[in-house]
Parts: sequence; C-alpha cells; structure tokens
Amino acid sequence: MKHTITRKEDLNAADYVIDVIAPKVAEKFKPGNFAVLLTIPNGERIPMSIEKAEDGKITMFIKKLGKTSRELDAWKVGDSFFKIIGPMGTAPALKKFGTVVFASDLVCGHAENNAMCRELKKINGNHVISIQSFPTKKDVYPEKERSKQYADEYILATGDGSMGRKGDMLDVLQEMLEERKIDMIFAGGDIPALQKLSKLTKKYNVPTMTTVRQIMVDATGMCGSCRVFVDGKQKLACIDGPMFDGHKVDWEAAISRLAMFKGKEAEAMECYNEKMKEVV
Amino acid sequence: MAIPERVPMREQDPKVRITNFLSVPLGYSADEAVREAKRCLQCKVPLCETGCPVRMDIKDIIHLIADEKFEEAFFLSKKDNAVPAMTGRVCPQEEQCEGKCILEKKDRAINIGKLFAFVADWAREIDLVNESKPEENGKKIAIVGSGPASITCAVDLRKLGYQVTIFEALHMAGGVLQYGIPPFRLPRDVVDYELSYLEKIGVNIQLNQIVGQNVEFEELKKEYDAIYIATGAGAPRFLNCEGEKLKGVYSANEFLIRVNLMKAYQFPNWDTPIVCGDKVGVIGCGNVALDAARCAKRLGADSVRIFYRRTKEFAPAREEELKHAEEENISCEKMLSPTRVLGNDDGWITGIELVTTKFVGEDKSGRPKPINVEGLKFEVKLDTLIIALGTTPNRLFLSNVPELDTYSWGGIKADENFMTNIPGVFVGGDALSGGSTVIAAMGDGRDAAEAIIKYLNK
Repeated sequence: MKHTITRKEDLNAADYVIDVIAPKVAEKFKPGNFAVLLTIPNGERIPMSIEKAEDGKITMFIKKLGKTSRELDAWKVGDSFFKIIGPMGTAPALKKFGTVVFASDLVCGHAENNAMCRELKKINGNHVISIQSFPTKKDVYPEKERSKQYADEYILATGDGSMGRKGDMLDVLQEMLEERKIDMIFAGGDIPALQKLSKLTKKYNVPTMTTVRQIMVDATGMCGSCRVFVDGKQKLACIDGPMFDGHKVDWEAAISRLAMFKGKEAEAMECYNEKMKEVV
Repeated sequence: MAIPERVPMREQDPKVRITNFLSVPLGYSADEAVREAKRCLQCKVPLCETGCPVRMDIKDIIHLIADEKFEEAFFLSKKDNAVPAMTGRVCPQEEQCEGKCILEKKDRAINIGKLFAFVADWAREIDLVNESKPEENGKKIAIVGSGPASITCAVDLRKLGYQVTIFEALHMAGGVLQYGIPPFRLPRDVVDYELSYLEKIGVNIQLNQIVGQNVEFEELKKEYDAIYIATGAGAPRFLNCEGEKLKGVYSANEFLIRVNLMKAYQFPNWDTPIVCGDKVGVIGCGNVALDAARCAKRLGADSVRIFYRRTKEFAPAREEELKHAEEENISCEKMLSPTRVLGNDDGWITGIELVTTKFVGEDKSGRPKPINVEGLKFEVKLDTLIIALGTTPNRLFLSNVPELDTYSWGGIKADENFMTNIPGVFVGGDALSGGSTVIAAMGDGRDAAEAIIKYLNK
C-alpha cells in the first residue's frame, strides 16, 4: 500500500492540510480516533488527529513544529509516507446530548472540531455549536477548512479581535456558559488551555471531554509513555483515550510529561537545519 | 578419559562493548565449534533433549557438527526449530538442554546454545535455503501477533501446506525479538534473516494490522479455518506509587521499544529520541531489567544500579546476562523495594526512596517472599528510573474481543488443547501464560500447531 499525498495546502503560515491515501484507516475511522504516521523508515511513530476519512483517504491538519512536521512540509503531492497506521484510540460514544459544543484553539483541535461536529450533527436532537479561536486574522483557516459548515452555530474568535469575536475559546465559552444551558462540551487543542477550559466548565458543572495529547511511541498500549492520570487512575492516551473527562484529568502531570523530550526535539531540529543548509 | 575443557566463548571486551550495541559473544569459529562438539559424550539416553521445549535432536546435531557436517546439522536443527540462530542466543540453556547435560555435573555442559547459533550463522553466511514451498492443502489459518510463538506455529503449519497469514500490529515483525531484546544480545541481521525464512516458505505477514482495531476479529473468524492468538504480554506493569508520573521515569518496555524498535541509540539519524541520565536506577531483576540496564550503560550512563527485592540467586534473569551485566559495572543491590519516586518542581525525577526487605515464608513461585521492613527507608539520587516489573497481556486486543474468556490478570483461558472458549480459536505464548521465555513460547507455538491440525482433521 502506497500512502501517497493527494492534496497539500497551506492553512496559514504555520499549518497545512494534507490528504493521504490510507483506505484501511479511512474505512474504520470514527471521530476521536487518530493515526500513527511514519514518514520514513527511520522516522518516529507520530500520533496525528484525523480531520476526515473519505474515499480511502484521510485528511490531517499539521503544524510545522518539530523536525518531522517540517520535513513533511517539504513533501509534495505524489510523495508517499512509509507507513500510516490506524485508526488508533477509543472514539468517544456520541449520542443525543442536546446543546453540544466543540471548542478548539490549535491545529489538531481544529481537525477534531471538524470531525466531531460533522458526526454530532448527524444525530437527531443535537444542537451543535462550534467555537474556533486563532491568534489573529492572518492565522484564521480558509472557510472551507473551518467547522462553520458542520455546526448549527459557529463562533470564530481571534486574540486581537482582528476577525470575529475578540478573545480565545475560553472567553467565548465563559460568556456562553453564563448566558445559556449547555449539555455537553468537547474540546481539543493546547493542553494548558484545555486545563483552564476544564476548570471553567467544572464550575458550571457541564460534562467535558477533552483530547489529552501525550507523547507516544508504539501507540498500541505497550510502552506507557502516554500515561495519563484520570481520577487518580493510570490510563493510556493511546488506547483508553485520547479523549478523557477533562474534570478528572491530572493536568499538571499531562503538561509536565509533554516536555520530557524538549531538549532532544531541539537537537533533532538543529540537526535537520544543518542538513538542509548542506542541501541548499 | 579426561574430558577437555569447554571451549571458551570469545566476547567483546566489557570496556569496548559498553560503547556499542554490537553482539557481546563473538561466536565460535568452525574449528572451535568442532572442538566443543567433540566434547559431547553422545549419551545413550540424551538428557539434554528432554530439556528442550521444542524437542530438538540435540545429540545428533552435535554429532554432525563434530563430523564437520554443518549443512546436515543445520537442516536437522531447522526441522524442529524455525529460528535456531535466535534461540541459540536467547534460550536459558542453563535451565534446559545444558542444565540436563551430564557433563554439567563434572565440569561444564556442552555449550549447546552457542553451537546451534554457530551452525545457523554458518548457514546464513552461505545463504543456505532449505525449504521449497509446500503443496497447498487449501486450509487458511490466521495468526495474531508475530513473536516467537506465532513464528513457530506458522512454520509448522506452513510446512504441511496450510495457508498462513500473520497479523502484526507494529510496523516490524518479530514481537519481543524486535522490540524487546537488544541487538547486543540478538543482532538484528539475525532477526531479519530468520524472519525472511517465513516469507521464503510462503507465510504471509501483514504489518500494521491491529486485530480488533483495524481488522475485525469477526472478519477473521469468517475468513479463516482457525485462528491462533499469540499477542504476547506487551503491557507494562508500573509501581503504582507516588512520583511515577515524573519525567525521566520509564517502563522497561518504553525504554526498550525506543532503543530496539525505534533505534533511539542512533538518534538523531533515527528520529525517535531517548533521554537517559548519568545515574540510572532499574527496578526488578529479570532479563528485561538487565536488558534495559545494559542499554542504559550503552547510552552513556555513569552509574546503573539494579534494585531487587530478593537476592540475585532468586532473580529470574539468566546467569549469562547477570554475568555480562556485572562485567559492565552494573550493580545489583539486593533486598530493596521502592516506596516512592522523588522529583523536583519541574516535574523531573531526582531520586527514589527505597525500603529494606526481609524474607518471610514463601510465595506462589516457591521463592522466599520479601516484605518491606518498616522504618528502614533511605533515598538514592537518580535522574532516570526504569521500571521492569514484568508485563501483562495487552488490553487493546482483549477489549476489542470481549467474547474471549480471560482470567482477571488478562490471560486468555484455554482448554488442554490450547483452544479458547471460541471453537477454532487457539491461544499460546505469553497471552496464555503471562510472562515466559522465547523458547517456552516457541514450544507453545509447536503444541498449538499440532492441536490446530488435529482440530481441522477430526
């Protein structure tokens, strides 16, 4: 199976979207699942949120962050991944919630937002509200990549108010919780922001499921690298998650553990930049 | 007649080998192998063979080596053992064939493991192919997992014309041989070669296929005449104590997967990183603990200390591994049990609190039972901690196939013919037994193959 890229477009200066042929993953995907990417044989197994699965292809939103995502950014339509594995993880059970919100403030969260809103909308009796926040106008994704089209209500926010509402997803959500009854909240994105979001929704006593992004290796429950502590119990983000009850997650540990390989990531980046200099 | 001394195995010097991941034993030369084989008494009743879980013709193979008939020796070893180059290296021979050898009582047993590794390596070097594709019998078998139990079961069935498909969750086949055992104990060219044999005889290996996740178990039941589950015991056990969430704390599985499967020791040429500090502590004293400790040494750790709640003589680790670890300046500190992991404000580990243990009675394994001595606590500074307390069967497969009967600890239940509560679905290896050795899993694979054949031909 060749996992060939069939579409690659910029979402903003830092993020891009790709469609890749992965029929097996596409066939079994449910919103909340993720894929594991291996760009090259000596690459890392990288977990990645899936935005959409359609016609044997999966769509992913990727940020130019570390070595692999930058390396991948140099790839073009027609280039192929070494392996794409999945779908991984446990997709949350979706049902009629009533008024249900998905809030996101970061690339993977925006992908999950689209996937989840699409699915929530299919269920009768759900009123789906989507909140997306970006730092500023130039960071806002093109309309066709935003969740507006999938939700009953859509709120766009920018940190500086240059487009849509001023503020971030937390500001929007806080106001909303003050004003109206929300039955269920899903959220994905920046981990410290999700901690704050969970704290906020707990105050209003609204059930909240959040994606808890962690470092993974095999992503099949073997290594324990992605251990998350939920209600005092050890869970694995790769097989039990990655979505957990935000009110019960030990966020300090989740935030801390994400930084375990910071030094090594910088080293990989430096090494990659050196290599690129030689190429030029 | 005096029996000549065991031909010593040449090894990499400890000072050199802690700087690389190459094989520690250098292997017998043909001359050394013949000399060692000639020590064999060729007993009328070869006790060595009674100690072999896959029942190899050990006596005859040694005889052929002594006669320099390496090709015949190779074919004869391959008859009962799909992967002799691997078992020659990782079997606990001292508890099996060599443990039963009559010479062990007088001097030292025949070095059966290294002799068999020699023959297999000799065949690999000249690329000796011993199998043609068998005549198809039209029956299809699905095997879940590609570790030692699966490999043996697949080969035994394939040789008789069954069409065998292996489903492996990871991107490389081999299970524990690939992700668990480090290359200095089991070089990866040996693993690759042994696995290529499966493809040569027509076993179909499907990588990245997670049964229950992206391949439905129901689909397998419909499509195959029988299913063999050998998903191993891949889930790590943790201490369940304070501080386990700290950065710098690894399960042995994570440490070994990063190093062995993902080649983190070649970072940044390979992308997967590993952070290994100067002061490394390892909890547990099985083969996995020693593998992790020796990897840490090779990653540049100054001090590597194993903390074990019993004494070395009761450790599950192989004698050879304990000796090698000691030569590499890895200390094994006995009668100690961890009580909590200590950390700093940045969430990094700074050390561990240990408590002294004492023996009280016996546990289920027949070994003395260690209990913590209240009040005898002390702290040790560490910047990396590796927890090697064994593994349990992986929940991922089990949670997706709820109709399988399991024990509370996660093992799959089976009858005396290795069949689960689902007719035609068999189980073996660590998924059945919990945690065992490569060769025991291979023995399971062989027994399961026989049971499957019986089931399909009744």
